[in-house]
Amino acid sequence: MGIARPALALSLVAALCPVAHATPEEARVWLARMSDALATREYDGLFTHSNRRQSETMRIVHRMEGTNSIERLVSLDGSGREIVRTPREVHAYLPDRRVVLVEPRTDDGSLLKALPTPGAELDAQYLLEVRGGSRLLGRNVRIIEIRPRDGYRYGYRLWLDEKSAMPLRSEICDQAGRPVERIQFTKLDMHTNMPASETEPSVDASGFRWVRSARPGSDRRVAMAVASWRALKVPPGFRLVGSRVQSLPGHPMPVQHLVFSDGFASVSVFIEPGSRNAPAPAEASRMGAASTFTTTVRGYMITAVGEVPPTTVRDIATSLAPVADSGVSPPPAR
Amino acid sequence: MTDQILEQMSALLDGELPQDQIGLLVRRMERDTELKRAFGSYVLIGETLRAPGGITASCGFATRVQAVLDDGHTALPISPGAHLARRAGWLKPAAAVAVAAGTVFAAVLLLRPGDQPGVGSGVATVADVDAVSNTVTDFAAADSASPTPAQSQRLAGYLVAHSQFATPIGRRNVWTSVLAQDPGIARVAYETPEDL
Repeated sequence: MGIARPALALSLVAALCPVAHATPEEARVWLARMSDALATREYDGLFTHSNRRQSETMRIVHRMEGTNSIERLVSLDGSGREIVRTPREVHAYLPDRRVVLVEPRTDDGSLLKALPTPGAELDAQYLLEVRGGSRLLGRNVRIIEIRPRDGYRYGYRLWLDEKSAMPLRSEICDQAGRPVERIQFTKLDMHTNMPASETEPSVDASGFRWVRSARPGSDRRVAMAVASWRALKVPPGFRLVGSRVQSLPGHPMPVQHLVFSDGFASVSVFIEPGSRNAPAPAEASRMGAASTFTTTVRGYMITAVGEVPPTTVRDIATSLAPVADSGVSPPPAR
Repeated sequence: MTDQILEQMSALLDGELPQDQIGLLVRRMERDTELKRAFGSYVLIGETLRAPGGITASCGFATRVQAVLDDGHTALPISPGAHLARRAGWLKPAAAVAVAAGTVFAAVLLLRPGDQPGVGSGVATVADVDAVSNTVTDFAAADSASPTPAQSQRLAGYLVAHSQFATPIGRRNVWTSVLAQDPGIARVAYETPEDL
C-alpha cells in the first residue's frame, strides 16, 4: 500500500515520542489507513448503532473478490433488513415492506473519482487530532478527533485499532462535541479467504417487489430539464464535486444527482419533476445522523440528504435554482 | 432471559465466546427483541463505565446506578475465568441498568439538534466535551408525525444512492440508518427551523 510506509514511520515516531496530541498530518495518515482497511480488508463484526431514539445491533461482513469488495450489513433486531453491496449493485432488502431496492453500484463513476480524499483542505473546516492510550476489545487504539470549525458539519471521534487501523468505535458529534450517533463494535474478526456464503443475503426475497432503476435516458426531455439546476450559494467549505442525471429505484423519471463535499462530509441533492405526492410545504427529516430536507421549486421536488446538521441540507436545498437560460419548463404531468 | 444467555452475552462482550456459540446467540438475537435490547444496553453501559473520561454518562447516572445496586438488583451470573474481576466491575452496573432500562438507558445517549452555524467560533475542545457530557438536552420537541411508507421508501432510496458518495464511515452510518427497525425518520416542520 502506498500509505503503509509513512503510516508505519509515523506510528514508530509516535511510539518513541509519546505526546498527548499528534499532528494533523498524522491524523490524516490514520484516516487514510482506516479508509484503506475498510475497503480492502476482509472482516466480520458485530456492532451496535445507537442514537437517542434507538439502539440497533448489526452484523457487518466485508469480503474481497480480487480487487472487488462485497459487503453485507444485517440488522439483528428482528426486522431482518439487509444491505448487500455486490461489485455491480447495491441491494437493500426490506422484509418488513416486502421490498428490495436495487441501486447500481457506481464505483467506476465520475462522481466517486471527483470526491476529495482527506487532505490538507480539511484543515480549513476541521481540527484534526490524534490521541492514544486507550484500549477497546482488548486492542490498543488511537483516538482520532475530527472537530468541526462551525455548525455546518458534524465532527467525528474514531477509535482505531493501532494494528489494523479498523474503527472499533466511531461517534458522530455536533459542534459542541456531543454524540449524535455511535457505532460500537462488540466483536471484530479479521479474515483471509472468507467464504462467499458469508456475504449471501439470508432474506428469502421470493414474492418481494424488486424496485429497480429505470433505464437511463428513458425520457430525454425530462433529463435535460432536471440537469439544468445549480446551487446559488452553499455553506462554507462545500463545493460541487459532481453532477449527473440518473435513475433511482421507484422513480419513473430521471433524477439529477448533485454531490457537494467539504472534503469529508458530503451532501447529495436530488432534483426530480414533482408529483401529486410531493410534500408541501417543505419538510425536514432525520434518519440517525443523516438529515434530509425536501422542498418544491417551480414544480420540481428538491431533496438534500447527508450526514450533516439539518441546517446544512436546508441551506443547500433552498439555494437550488434553475439555470436562467436553460429553458426549464414545468414538469410533465404525472 | 436465562442465566445461560446472560453468561453467553457476557462472554461475547469479552471476546471469549466460542465461534459456534456466537452463531447461535446471533440467531437468537434475531428473534428476541428483549435480548437484543439488553445486549445493546450491556455494550453501551460497559463501554461508558470502562472508558476513561467517558463522555456519555448523563448527570446523576452513576448515582442512579449505585442506587439500583444498593437495592440489590445485581444478580447477573458471571462466567468463570481470569477476567472475572475485571468484567464484574462493569457487568454488575450493566445488569442493574438493564433492570432500570426504561429510565436510565434513555439518559445514556445524548443528542442535541444542530447548533446554529457560527463560523469561526465554538470549536469543541476536549474540555468542552467533558463539560457538556453532564448535560442532557432535548431533541424530541422537534419531532412530529412520521412520514408515510411511500415517503420513507423514497428517502431510503435517496440515502442508498447518497451512501455511495460518502466516506466509508459515512456509508456505514447511512446504511445502518436505512436498516433501522423503526425507520427512525423524525419529520420536523419547516415552519420551526430554529428547532432543527
